[in-house]
This record gives sequence, C-alpha cells and structure tokens, in this order.
Amino acid sequence: MERDGHAAPAGTGHLRLLAHAADCEECRRAPLPMREIATLMDEAVPDVDVGALSQHAFACARPLLHRRRAGWSWQLAAGLLLALLPLPVVVAYDAYVLHLAYEFLCGWVPAAVAAYLVLSYAATLVLLFASTYAAIPLLVNRQPVLE
Amino acid sequence: MATDEELVGHVAVGDEDALRELLHRYERPLAHFIHRCTSGRDVEDLYQDTWLRVVRHAPRFDRTRRFSTWLFQIAVNLCRDWQRRRPPDPAEPVELPMTADPVTHIERRIDTARLLDVLPLPQREALILRYYHDLSEDEAAAVLGCPKGTVKSRVHNGLARLATLVRQRP
Repeated sequence: MERDGHAAPAGTGHLRLLAHAADCEECRRAPLPMREIATLMDEAVPDVDVGALSQHAFACARPLLHRRRAGWSWQLAAGLLLALLPLPVVVAYDAYVLHLAYEFLCGWVPAAVAAYLVLSYAATLVLLFASTYAAIPLLVNRQPVLE
Repeated sequence: MATDEELVGHVAVGDEDALRELLHRYERPLAHFIHRCTSGRDVEDLYQDTWLRVVRHAPRFDRTRRFSTWLFQIAVNLCRDWQRRRPPDPAEPVELPMTADPVTHIERRIDTARLLDVLPLPQREALILRYYHDLSEDEAAAVLGCPKGTVKSRVHNGLARLATLVRQRP
C-alpha cells in the first residue's frame, strides 16, 4: 500500500474499510465481509516495472524541459537587458543631482562635511542599484509560478 | 529537502533533477494507481502522458495546492478519457473456477489482478484511493472532483459489489 509515495503500514487498507463500515449507515444495516474483501484486494498486486516506466517518461519529457530551460534563459537575458538599458541615463542623472546637492551643501556647511553627506547618499544609491539588479534573476525565476 | 511544490516550481523552469526527484517520489503510487484503474492496460502511455502534462502545466501550478492531489487529478482525468475511448473488455473474472491445484492458483492470481475490473470506473477510483492510497474521504473527494458523500457512496457500492464476488468464491 502507498500514500503519497511512501509505504503505508500493512493493514491500513483493512482499517480504512472498518472505519468506513463504522461510518456508513448502509454497511451498518447490512454488514459486508470486510476481512475477506481486504484479503481479496491485498492479493491484487500490480505487476509493473516502475523504474522502466519512469525512465521512459523522463526521456519523453526531456525535450520539453530543454525548451523550457532555453525559454527561461532568454527571459532572464531579456529581463537583464531591459533593466540595464536605462542605467546610463539614470547614473548620469544621479551624478548631476549629487553635484547640485554638493554645491548647495557647500554654501551651508564646510566642504568636507558636504562631501561626506553626498558620498554617503551616493553609497546608498549604489547599494540600492546593486540590490535591484541582483533581484532580477530571482524575479524571473518566480515568474512561471506567478503566471 | 525540497517539498513537492518547490520541485514543481523548478520543473517549470526546466530543471531535470527536480523532475527526476518527483518521478522517484511518485513512480510507485502513480503507476500502481493507473495499473489498477485500467487493469494493467496502456499503463505506460497513461503514465507517460501524466508526467508530460505535469511538465507542460507546471508553470501554471498553484503552489498553495498539494502536488500529490494535482498529480492524481491528472491521472484520474487521463484514465477517464482512456475509459471512454477503449473498446469493451470481454473478460469476466467472476466466472473463473477456483480450486487448489497450481494451474488454477495462477488463474486465481490473474483473476485477483483484474479484480477491480468488475467495478465501474467511478467506484474503482474511489476504492483505489481510499484502500490502496490510504486517502481520507476529503482528499479522495479533492482528487476525484466530487463531494465527500459521493466518495462514501461510491466506496460502499464498490465494496458491496466485491462482497458478492467474495460470497461466490468457494
């Protein structure tokens, strides 16, 4: 006997029949020979080479898996490319904003402090970009499941 | 160790090892289920079709569901399609004589191997899932796509039919 791929203890089927008999109104009214039925059902063991079946099924599914993997690689490459395309513009814009911030801060605080603040902000931006791009493969990986 | 549901996610992106692992986990229960539903006919084709459907539809698999329920639902649907297509089988296992000599013992083995053939497919499916796969009525109902009460009545009718076989045996 089996349950979800794992062997179930012997006699579980018989116990199930007894549980059914206890729960079933018709069985209580006219009891069935559960022990004999269980013996008969236990004799019916399928004669099947599961290893060979699995090998054959795997061989048939392989081309489909290859196509799926190739499709996923293209999806990943396309996702990365699309994400990288606007990067130069974004970097140039951020550099311009940082330059403006530095000039603005220099009017209020000493240059060293202004440089420290601007560089801290720049480091945060770099970290944010790195996290975003690192997440792309993970998002692409999850996409089939989300579909 | 990855769960079945995680493995289906990997199969969805073409991971061969994930499929191998799923095959390894479910080859015996699935093959036996199909074998019992069809009395050993076209098992290879149905087994293969079941896994091909798993691979094909893996991207759409809802990971909040149980993989085993989904797998057996696919197998049940394929067995039902097969049942509709196949020509009627003339074998009548109840007619075989039962004696103690070795030749008839073999006949008896063949007889019991085709035991469930006497049941209509809905009763057979319910009985196989409840008896051999040890599923609860709720789980069997989820696989078969019917209410729990229907599973119970199908199991009872199947058992009643098998009881007549038992009573006819010497």
